[in-house]
Amino acid sequence: MDRIDYQQLRSGEVNLGTSIMAVQFKDGVVIGADSRTTTGSYIANRVTDKLTHIHDRVYCCRSGSAADTQAVADIVHYNLQIFSQTNGSPPPVHTAASLFQNICYANKDALSAGIIVAGWDKEVGPSVYNIPLGGGLFRQPWAIGGSGSTYVYGYCDATYQEGWGRDETVNFVKNTLALAMSRDGSSGGVIRMCVITEAGVERLFVPGNELPKFWQGTEVLSLPKEKAATLEPQVVPMAVE
Amino acid sequence: MTSVFSPPGFNFSNQSRNDFIAEKGIPMPKATSTGTTIVGCLFADGIVLGADTRATEGDIVADKNCEKIHYITESIRCCGAGTAADTEFTTALISSNMELHALSTGRKPRVVTAMTMLKQMLFRHHGNIGAALVLGGVDATGPHLFTVAPHGSTDKLPYVTMGSGSLAAMAVFESSWKPNMSRDDALQLVKDAISAGIFNDLGSGSNVDACIITASHTEMLRNVEMPNQRVEKERQYRFARGTTAWKSEEIRKLVVSEEVILLAGGDEMDTT
Amino acid sequence: MEHSFASPSGHPQPHQRHFNPYSENGGTILAIAGANFSVIAGDTRQSEGYSIQTRYAPKVFRLTDKAVLATNGFAADGNMFVKKVRQRLEWYRHAHSKDMPIRAIARLIQTMLYARRFFPYYVYNILGGIEEDGSGAVYSFDPVGSYEREACRAAGAAQSLVQPFLDNQIYFKNQTPAHGTSHPAHLPLDHVLELVIDSFTSATERHIEVGDGLEIYVVLAKGSTPQVLDRWQGVTEMTTTQDGERMFVIRRNLKRD
Repeated sequence: MDRIDYQQLRSGEVNLGTSIMAVQFKDGVVIGADSRTTTGSYIANRVTDKLTHIHDRVYCCRSGSAADTQAVADIVHYNLQIFSQTNGSPPPVHTAASLFQNICYANKDALSAGIIVAGWDKEVGPSVYNIPLGGGLFRQPWAIGGSGSTYVYGYCDATYQEGWGRDETVNFVKNTLALAMSRDGSSGGVIRMCVITEAGVERLFVPGNELPKFWQGTEVLSLPKEKAATLEPQVVPMAVE
Repeated sequence: MTSVFSPPGFNFSNQSRNDFIAEKGIPMPKATSTGTTIVGCLFADGIVLGADTRATEGDIVADKNCEKIHYITESIRCCGAGTAADTEFTTALISSNMELHALSTGRKPRVVTAMTMLKQMLFRHHGNIGAALVLGGVDATGPHLFTVAPHGSTDKLPYVTMGSGSLAAMAVFESSWKPNMSRDDALQLVKDAISAGIFNDLGSGSNVDACIITASHTEMLRNVEMPNQRVEKERQYRFARGTTAWKSEEIRKLVVSEEVILLAGGDEMDTT
Repeated sequence: MEHSFASPSGHPQPHQRHFNPYSENGGTILAIAGANFSVIAGDTRQSEGYSIQTRYAPKVFRLTDKAVLATNGFAADGNMFVKKVRQRLEWYRHAHSKDMPIRAIARLIQTMLYARRFFPYYVYNILGGIEEDGSGAVYSFDPVGSYEREACRAAGAAQSLVQPFLDNQIYFKNQTPAHGTSHPAHLPLDHVLELVIDSFTSATERHIEVGDGLEIYVVLAKGSTPQVLDRWQGVTEMTTTQDGERMFVIRRNLKRD
């Protein structure tokens, strides 16, 4: 997806150099995010919750400037509270996404906010909307975002399939985020996920030491095969993250 | 005709003049900053806030014993880092609005309310208000601890640090913080975190201030630790009378004497 | 799907980055010349930005039995400069079988600094010691070799705090003497040491880059008595030769915040 324009980020600004994701499946959506918030090279928060409650069945994943995305999410949250009071029914996901789009598009020069809106409504069921930096609005079966997403487009294209159930979708999100976090220095920490269905919102948590493991990079190259075989296997596996 | 009405908010009438001056190569005056160590820490019964007491102007110490833990309400306090004037005015303004809010709702105000007011004010000003805050307190919903960054982003965590000494202080928290600590352990941890900032960060120094907030009462511990007392000077620097040169002398009587003349008889008023 | 965010001109702007080999490591040095002695002092904190690199990095160095050099500014350049001056002094010793006189060291330092006029050592130097006539001397330099002999000089981070104090207390600036008296041309050693210590404790109070430790070198002219040093604690003698100038160093703690 979109990369954050670092020139545009004002110096000293708190930044969500992020890996975020949302995937729809038969009964709902799974959203997920890493937990790292940075100010320059300092990790200001290692257990951030980037999955932000907008309404009962609508959440968003935030990337870009922490201040901008929190402010925009607060405004949309406020508007949807008014919406549900005046209409007497919960808002459709598309309505929430449109509110986000309106704010992001109208203030595109002042905001650095890349947002994924996802949720469930009774009109269309599960849906995922991507609102990248300029303030576009795109409905997608799956969306990834933040600086870490660039590393995992290939993985998502190769892996995603229609018709998955809840567990397969959760695993897909978990694996994708673990891969993104391992390659992107501005992403890391833990994985937070939410499963949003008609029945409710279930929160899932993967601690930093229980992330799925892939290639560990334990090979010792540039040694003759025979010599490598005689060596004690004392190479410590590199932590994925 | 010039209006006597002054609109609310900041006054920008010197903006274009100052831009012109800056263009001519004369730099803007330096604001006093609290290149600071401020921390907050959750414990079993509430919150402990901590701060050092050094204020700087560039690399000069402007105030050796300033107060960085500001009053918001009786059970909510806020530590400020960054531009000293900004932290003082924002916290004073939010403190005022919290009092009005408490009066109009008839309830004890909540920490999230102060946090929301602060973040909305800072966001509106796009980071131009250089206030980095640690907000802590106890309300009807329990103890809460937040950081508020100058651009208006907030974080809610069990232990937080801010300012130029935040890395030194966070190193102490990351190695020793535990959930459900006792009041004494939490206070000691906060003292250690602030001390790490005082001794390892040049922007922080002098004494440790702390504030313990529980549901029942708030305890402000001003200068709980004073590890940087000045040693006695080797010499006395008193100047003999007549050291300062002078060119002329004029002596004036400052006491005005007056005489009361009674015109129409009667007595002078009794002023005994 | 690709959503890019272009810079105002529509394409990324090239950035001119250039390497800066210098940094500023804080601290302060000062030297005061007496009638038959010289005092050269410096704090021992070395910092960069808001971080302390070390609490003990000497800035004052013994060159010969009667010459001491204090350096302040960019520490790496300072150390390298002292190393090169010492090398030149050793060559001089081999060639002439004696130590170089201090006024010659001062001229040597000038030429060494000016040799790097367009890529200078980022260092302010103060040279202190005893002249051939037995008088106390202080020479101060700018980074490219301009120098003069003075009675006292402060340099470094807290120069602007310390020099006015010295002007008032050593040169008696803005002080009118009592009627029929005059100010002394030179102060006694213990008086000077008190002023040096008070200069550094005061600079530590108000300057964030000054602190941790204080090293005071005292060079006494041939034949003068070191008894006045008895009242001071932490005095170490560094004299290497008999019946020549004597050198002492006094080490003190400063505040560490």
